[in-house]
Formats: sequence, structure tokens, C-alpha cells
Amino acid sequence: MWGALLRSGVRGTGGLRSMSSGGPPWSQVVSEAEKIVGYPTSFMSLRCLLSDELSNIAMQVRKLVGTKHPLLDTARGFVYDSRNNLQMRGLVILLISKAAGPSTAELSFQHNMVSGIYSSQRSLAEITELIHTAFLVHRGIVNVGELKSCDGPLKDMQFGNKMAVLSGDFLLANACTSLAQLQNTKVVELISSAIGDLVQGIYYENSKSSEENCLTDDIGISRWKEQVFLSHSALLAKSCQAAMELAKHSTEIQDMAFQYGKHMSMSHKLHSDLQPFVKESSSDTMAFSLNSAPAILHQEFLGREAWIKQIREAQGKGNIMDYKQLQEAIKAGKGVTSAIDLCRCHGNRALAALEHFPPSEARDALANIVCAVTRFP
Amino acid sequence: MALRWWWWWRRCGASSRRAPPLGSVPRPGPRAPPAPSAMCHFTQRSSALSFPKICNVFWRFHHTSTSHLCSCSKTVSDENYQDPFQLGRKDLKNLYEDIKKELLVSAAELKEMCDYYFDGKGKAFRPMIVVLMARACNIHHNNSKEVQASQRSVAIIAEMIHTASLVHDDVIDDANSRRGKRTLNQIWGERKAVLAGDFILSAASVALARIGNTTIVSVLTQVIEDLVRGEFLQLGSKENENERFAHYLEKTFKKTASLIANSCKAVSILGCPDPKVHEIAYQYGKNVGIAFQLIDDVLDFTSCADRLGKPTAADLKLGLATGPVLFACRQFPEMNAMIMRRFSRPGDVERAWKYVLQSDGVQQTTYLAQRYCHAATREIRKLRPSPEREALVHLTEMVLMRDK
Repeated sequence: MWGALLRSGVRGTGGLRSMSSGGPPWSQVVSEAEKIVGYPTSFMSLRCLLSDELSNIAMQVRKLVGTKHPLLDTARGFVYDSRNNLQMRGLVILLISKAAGPSTAELSFQHNMVSGIYSSQRSLAEITELIHTAFLVHRGIVNVGELKSCDGPLKDMQFGNKMAVLSGDFLLANACTSLAQLQNTKVVELISSAIGDLVQGIYYENSKSSEENCLTDDIGISRWKEQVFLSHSALLAKSCQAAMELAKHSTEIQDMAFQYGKHMSMSHKLHSDLQPFVKESSSDTMAFSLNSAPAILHQEFLGREAWIKQIREAQGKGNIMDYKQLQEAIKAGKGVTSAIDLCRCHGNRALAALEHFPPSEARDALANIVCAVTRFP
Repeated sequence: MALRWWWWWRRCGASSRRAPPLGSVPRPGPRAPPAPSAMCHFTQRSSALSFPKICNVFWRFHHTSTSHLCSCSKTVSDENYQDPFQLGRKDLKNLYEDIKKELLVSAAELKEMCDYYFDGKGKAFRPMIVVLMARACNIHHNNSKEVQASQRSVAIIAEMIHTASLVHDDVIDDANSRRGKRTLNQIWGERKAVLAGDFILSAASVALARIGNTTIVSVLTQVIEDLVRGEFLQLGSKENENERFAHYLEKTFKKTASLIANSCKAVSILGCPDPKVHEIAYQYGKNVGIAFQLIDDVLDFTSCADRLGKPTAADLKLGLATGPVLFACRQFPEMNAMIMRRFSRPGDVERAWKYVLQSDGVQQTTYLAQRYCHAATREIRKLRPSPEREALVHLTEMVLMRDK
């Protein structure tokens, strides 16, 4: 997901306000941000890979090589492909912690501050990444009852499931332990509720029988936004808020941090959904999800029946989806432009939230992130 | 304690049929010690000392060597005896309803999945212990007869954490039935089952945070970590026989006893400021928890033998070497190879099963469970007398006498 941003290779001059004229390239945004927070955050959550339990798992996962269990892809992603593995959530939390500055509450606030960030906030950034990673792993579980013979031996899949459940649980347990060590029950409550949100969001993602029936869900854009909030925004939004709570910032700042996290990640999801539709390349049409924002919006404008008809036409006789045709159909409608508008709208709201923070390098970095996720060729 | 006993038992020589005391220890109190039919089954191997004689010898040995606190056990237990489940009933009346209220899910199917095991049909053994412990500690501290709301929350949270771990365990073990009905993964598939487990855990965390006490959060979060580490311990295995037993006990603590021990500790912290009381509560929970699991492991062999006439041997089939197996292995070293390969070859499960039945593995494990129960009783008797305290003692006896 974040990797797509790198590939889109954006350029331009920066600025808190100007979204359309663009900002620095994504990779530059990231490396500058990392300098601001003090260190590269790429492998934050994977420090616990050094634990006995996970090295045990890693050895066992080797047995999955040659099978089709999704855990293998997830694991591969961690080790080999650091590009696609940017731990953006952690970075955002660190940036917003720094942007909010030191606690204005009691003078006796004695916590450790390094590079303008409290150690508890750093811990929280790591916790967020742990949770995110845990669910990447838990997403990669297969339904044993739905396996076909082409998926390979049953016991390989069962074994993969076992490893996925265990390693996901291990990451979650680590997150819970670290949360407890923060000694702040409000934060525990916030993050735990974020986990609940994430579960519900993933549940909605999974529930789609749309993959089998090749249909868009029968929902409108506002329902879509609710579900995407759960699966893509809640964790970051609530973590940003929790970071503020850790430094005892006011409820107003907490709310603004929440708003930034929420709107920035919504923009990001919309940006990601739009990629197949805004690229110039004509040779290779990317397949896209029928539940991506442009499709949902297109369906809403056109009406469900008309949209289903277009889908069936694109499927043709062989039941193989002609994504190019479908893409053209969507582009011909208002789906793409309204998705872009929606993306920019959320981006604006994220920037508006940032206005409540004092000017700083960290705040600029956060703004640059928004610019990067709202930029279209 | 169990490790010392393990070494003692080894030194006595597993091949000697006389030395290890066989069978169950008669309990204090007016009820006659029943000889569980499963026990008698195994004394059919000839022994110089007959079963009742050994019991007597052991009982006298054990009874005089335990701490002075036990000597007054008989009469107190009789006078204050009440069914533990009656005592705790009021506090637990709406337990499952309250748990369901914590599970705020908008998707109907996910809600159905999360509510699935909170149908009120379970015995609520863990919440019962928690609530009784809460009362016993409250009475000990200031004679208060009420259970605080936060203590009741701990009972709810403990049950939720336990259930969440069961849901994941069923996916890991590919189980298809639990508590007489189909498992979540059997009905809704593994993906959703794992999510349901995650949700229940997150809801438990939210409830935990709402108590507003960071110490309690730390104590109960430890359980979550222990549960996962326990599962990992189960994955691995030890080469060395002696390490195996320690490994088995550690796994038993983490997977079963930690939850009970830490929830007892949590309610004691909420009810009483004295750290000695917290330690008593913790030790009671830990000992009862280990005993509970040991008996569970025994039942995996005995309940089937009695009822169905053929083994289900669920643990063996999962490749797990539990107490009875580890003890049997001392008498039948041929089992070592099977343990190492986790009973994976065809015929392994059946052979191991037979070895266990021929050995006194079941008795040894039961005896060990008794020792843990006695330790639990010794601990809890350090608290001020109360019906709840005695109920907790009675609970340890119930643990031993379970037949399913």
C-alpha cells in the first residue's frame, strides 16, 4: 500500500497549504521525517523478531516454502522487501508527538525526552506497529473448508494457519504488555478499542462474497467510509490521540491529533484506490478491487443495476473480467473525479487539524505526508 | 514442589512397584473417600502392599508432616460448608449477560460469533473462584461482605480472556467440537474465528482499562502474555526427560494456572492492601490451576476408558506428552522415541495409550494434583475464616473429583 506511493514518484515544491503544486518526493518525505524523529523506523515492530518465540516460528515458517499459505507472503514482505514495509504509522505517531511539543501540564512531568519525543510516545509508536503487523499476519489465515486440491496438501495449510495465529497472538500479547507498562489506563482503553475497530474493519473486508460473485457491495460511499475508517484509520487516529494523552496535552490537541490521523489515512486509502485509474500507462491495466472508492462512487452515481450490467458486460462469456473495459466504464463516469475530490477533502481536513499545532519541522513533515497522499498526476 | 517430588520418585526407582505410594489420599471431612473406579483399574498390577494399606500409610505420613494449619481442618470445614457455587451464585448471576454487553459489535454475524460461548451453559469455574476469592479477601481485610464492582469486573475479564484463548486454541488444534457444540471455526471458518477471538480479547482489554487501576492492568495483561507463551511452549519439546517434566509444568502454569492465579491476585489487590494476602491469593490460584490441568490431563485417559470403552486421547493425537505419559515413560522407556516424534507414526497413539494404562502414570499425576490442592488449601487457610474461604477449600476437592 505505502509502496505504491513510492512507485508513483511524486515531485514538486512543498508548503503547508499547497496541495496541488505538490511537495518533495515520497522517499524524501520519509527520510526527512526519520531524521526529525531521530532514527529510521523501518523495523520498529520487528525488534521482537529477536525473541526466541518468533525465531522458533521463523524456522517453522520455512516449512511453508513451496505451499500456498499466505503467511509466507507476509513473512517474505518483512524480510526482503523493506520498501513495501515502511512502518509509516510509527513514524506519523512520532512526528505528531514531536509536533505537539513538551507537556504543558504539570511541571513535574518527569518523563524522558529524546529528540523532542517522550519515551512513552516512542513505545506507543512501536505498539501501534506491533498491532498493525499482528493483523497483517492474522489476515493471512485461510479457511480450511474452502480449500481446493490446487491449494496443496491440507496439512500445509493447517500448519500455516497455526503459525499465523500464534505469531499474530504473540505480537498482540507483546503490544498488550507494552501498553500496560505505559501505566495509563486511558491509553490502554483507547488502543484496545482501536483493536476492536480494526477487527470489525477486517471483518467487513473479508465478508465480501464480492470476490466470488464479482460484485461491488451494495453500499453507498458513506457506509464505505465507515468501514474504511475501521479498517484503515481507527488505529492510527486513536494512536495519535493516545500519544497526546501520554504527554497530558489538552483534549483539544488530542482531538486534533485524532482528526489528523483519521483524515490523513482516509486520504491515503483513497489515493491508493485511485492508482489504477490515474496512471497513464496503457499497456498494463492493473486489476482493481470492485470495492475500491471509484467503483463504489461510480455505482452510487450510476445506480446499482446499471453498474451490475456494466460488470457483466465486462465479464463477457468466459467469466474472465476485462478490467480495462471496466476501468474505462468507471473513468467515463464521475467515480474517479469524485474520489479525487474526496481524497483532497480529507487531505484538507488533515491539514486543518495541523493548524492547531505550533509551526515546526515535525509539523511540516506531517503536512508533506498529506501532500504526498493527495497528489495525482 | 512438583520437581522435588519428581526427583524423589525417580530415585525410588520407577521399576519398583512398592515404593511410590499409589492411589488417592483420603480427604478430611465426613465424606468417605471414594475410590474412583478409574484408580482401581490400575492397581490390578500386583503389589506387595494392597491399595488400602498404601493409602493408610501415605495418609498418616502426609497428614503428620503437613503444617499445623491443616490439623484444624476437619471441624471447620464441616461447620462452614456450603456449596461454592451457591455462595457465588448471586455475584455471578448476570455474568454472561454482562459479558455480552461488553461485546459491542455492529456486524450481526460477528456479534453472534463473539456471544457464542457466553451462552450461560458453562460452569463458570474461573469466575466462581475469582468471586469467592474476592469475598474471602474482603472479609479478611475488614469483614466486608460485598464484592466490589471492580472485583466483579475482574471475574468477567478473566472469563473473556479465557474464552478468547479457547477460540484461538480451537483454530490452532483444528478442533471441531467444544462444550458439546461445534467450534467457531467449524461453523464460520478459521478466518472469522480468529477475528472473533481477537475481538473478545480487545473487549476484555477495554473493560480492564475501565477499572482504572494500572496495577490491575499489569497483573491481568501478564495473563495474556503467559497464554501465548504457553502455546509456544507446547510447540517446542525437550530432549531430556527431566527437562520435559519441568517444561510440562511450566506450560501448565502458563496455559492454565496463570489466569486463575493472576485473577485471584487482582481481586485481592482490590480488596485488601496487605501484600501477604496478595501472595496467598496468587499461590492459591496457581496451585488450584495446576491441579485443575493435571486432572484434565488424567481425564483425557480415564474418562474415555470408563465411558466409551475406547480412547479419544485428544492430547496424544495432538502430539502432546502430558503428565500420565511422562510418568509412564519412566517405566516404559520405549515411549521416549514416540514422545520425541510427537506420536506421529501410525499406531503411536494406541501404543502410548496402552503403556499409560499399564503404568501408574495416571495415579502419579493424580497424586501430584492432590499435592497441589493441599498446597492451595494451606495457603487459603491463612486467611480469616469465612464460608467463602471454606468454599475455596472445597473447590480444591471438587477439582480432584471431577469426572469431566
